[in-house]
Amino acid sequence: MVDTEKESEMQSERKVGVYVCRCGGNISDHVDVERVCEQTSKIPGVVVARQDMFMCSDPGQDLIIEDLKSGTIDRVVVASCSPDLHEMTFRNAISRAGFSPYVYEHANIREQVSWVHHGDKATDKAARLVAAASAKAKQLQPLDPIRVEAKRQAVVIGGGIAGMRAAKDLATRGIKVTLLEKSPFLGGRAAQLDRVAPTGELASDIVLELADAVLADPAITVHTCAQVTESEGYVGNFTLGFKRQPPESQEDRDRIKQMAESGKGIGEVIPFVGVCPAQIPETSEEHTVEAGVVVLATGIKPYTPRHGEYGFGDFKEVITLPELIKIMGKKKDTTTFLELNGRTIRSVAMIHCVGSRQIPGIHEEDETGYMNEYCSRTCCTATLQAANIIRETYPGTRVFDFYRDIRTYGRGQEELYEQAAKNKVLFLRFEAAEAPVVTQNGRSNGHPLSILVQDTLTFGEEVEVPVDLVVLAVGTEPNNVSDLAGMMKLPVGADRFLQEVHPKLRPVELSVAGVLLAGTCQSPMDMGEACNGASSAAVKASSLLTRGYVELDPFVAEVNMDLCAGTGKCVEACLQEGALRMVEIEEDGKKVQRAEVNPALCTGCGACVAVCPENAINVKGWTLKQYEAMVDMIVSGEVAA
Amino acid sequence: MALVDLDFPEQLERFGVDTTLECFNCGTCAAICPLIHEHFPRKIIRYAQLGAKDRILQESDELWRCLHCGLCTYTCPREVNPGELILGLRRYVVANWRGTANV
Repeated sequence: MVDTEKESEMQSERKVGVYVCRCGGNISDHVDVERVCEQTSKIPGVVVARQDMFMCSDPGQDLIIEDLKSGTIDRVVVASCSPDLHEMTFRNAISRAGFSPYVYEHANIREQVSWVHHGDKATDKAARLVAAASAKAKQLQPLDPIRVEAKRQAVVIGGGIAGMRAAKDLATRGIKVTLLEKSPFLGGRAAQLDRVAPTGELASDIVLELADAVLADPAITVHTCAQVTESEGYVGNFTLGFKRQPPESQEDRDRIKQMAESGKGIGEVIPFVGVCPAQIPETSEEHTVEAGVVVLATGIKPYTPRHGEYGFGDFKEVITLPELIKIMGKKKDTTTFLELNGRTIRSVAMIHCVGSRQIPGIHEEDETGYMNEYCSRTCCTATLQAANIIRETYPGTRVFDFYRDIRTYGRGQEELYEQAAKNKVLFLRFEAAEAPVVTQNGRSNGHPLSILVQDTLTFGEEVEVPVDLVVLAVGTEPNNVSDLAGMMKLPVGADRFLQEVHPKLRPVELSVAGVLLAGTCQSPMDMGEACNGASSAAVKASSLLTRGYVELDPFVAEVNMDLCAGTGKCVEACLQEGALRMVEIEEDGKKVQRAEVNPALCTGCGACVAVCPENAINVKGWTLKQYEAMVDMIVSGEVAA
Repeated sequence: MALVDLDFPEQLERFGVDTTLECFNCGTCAAICPLIHEHFPRKIIRYAQLGAKDRILQESDELWRCLHCGLCTYTCPREVNPGELILGLRRYVVANWRGTANV
């Protein structure tokens, strides 16, 4: 800690440069920018106060860089838009001039001034905000970023297509990977598919290709039947506890049974089951694993229709699309008609958007109060793919397709829609509020069910379609990751999918540093998109880990050991577990308790600063002294414009 | 209410039309048609898709409004050839009057 006298002496030598942006009129139409500069230049310590049409432009940034390089200034204030937009722009400019990016203070005079105030009041408020920023800038220290060592290891949670892709890509970059899969099988939802659109490849071939690559890679350790039980640490240094235990769920047991029946063993692919990479544990065992990054690939599950939704549960002839895919995938015959449990299926109805694109007021919430308002994206293509397979394999079976909108997005997928029309599938379109009604067929035409629909393609006329089978194109829901989300403090969206930092600019990162997203845990997507996401997550992870360390912003709490009295109040107030703790140290031959900050975990929230009775703890870059200087300036009459 | 009958589009094949179910009801034909008459020819094509024979026979005079300008065939995005479909439906209607539609 610098002593107060020396510090104030140093402050008096500081040279602050203030740069006021006109934002092409966005600011200068309401704020008298010249006047703000004039007032600001009167503040002690401010050596230049300039203005520019666009401070964020190259010539604008060059003003700062030149003044720093010539020794005119050593602290910088830019008054412009929200720091959210350009704080980093100006910090980077300062770095390019060879200075610490932390000798910078930002004043927001657009969103907080020119967009909400007008006339003299706007100019006055702008002048006060700039003066406050200048006063704080005088006290800024050239802080160093926090450097945290990063372990060159990754944990991937989820052994579906995305998890396997991410694991393999990480291993290729020389990073050791632990892949944790909840079930006994690799392959996830992809393993439950037959031929995938639009190429018609067998999903089991794709799963096997990737599983072989993962299992053959010495850098990857796969643990199946593994459930994450604990998570602690931070970017570069996570520790995860997990439990391997005998499978409990009915789905897992069914799949184990199918594996036994198939006669196939470890490492072989079983269609609609997956690849079992290792013996299934008979007892429960606990492990821990360390990692620099964690990739989440926790995936999705198909929506389960409510009892009575389109006759589901009421009529045995109503099934879901995943069920149909499985049934047809296992049949290898080519007969005129599709046969199902000994029944000849002469006509099939397929209904889209079941459990997707739900609308409040029209659809019912599930038992947990949720509603799937999103489009599940892959079901249109999957439905049409199944329709084409039916028409091409069982030419006698007719297909009726009930849709709200056809959304066969992506390369080669619209062609499936056209192909379905060429295959003589009849399309009928309904409005969400007038969903088709599945009933017992009253006519004696041999079809057990009948569907009534207000067909918008026939201008709203009611059309009746007698059918033998109804297939519901169910949407997707994220797997329940509430335990993981709780443990790792992961942001979950209103739709229950994990939420990225920015959907366009940072699509695979989470706000928790070092935790990345791969595949459908983020949103419904097809296998290609899931692999895209997984590969991006692997690249992001390796760019975090390959330097061997991670740099974090230095705005964290710092204890002044001269003042700390060891009251422990800060530790009680701390909101981030592990960020603050009491340690025993020796002082003048006596053992005393003092607070200690873990900078990698501290979020700089300031809860500790507020409770310390000794003023012994401060957040670097946002100290109480800096706040006091700002407040003094805001209320000072001298800076009024 | 119309009861769907997919035998009908197949039956139309004997009248020279095999594209009935390829239409995806976009309405380009109705928009370009110089007759600007209700939803002609989109609506009658939809009836053909559903196999709503009664409607086609009831509204068969619509079929004779067509001028054979070819604009619908020229603009159809699915290349369904709506003009030819109208001609096929006329042949079906005539045969039906003669009592030979099912021969």
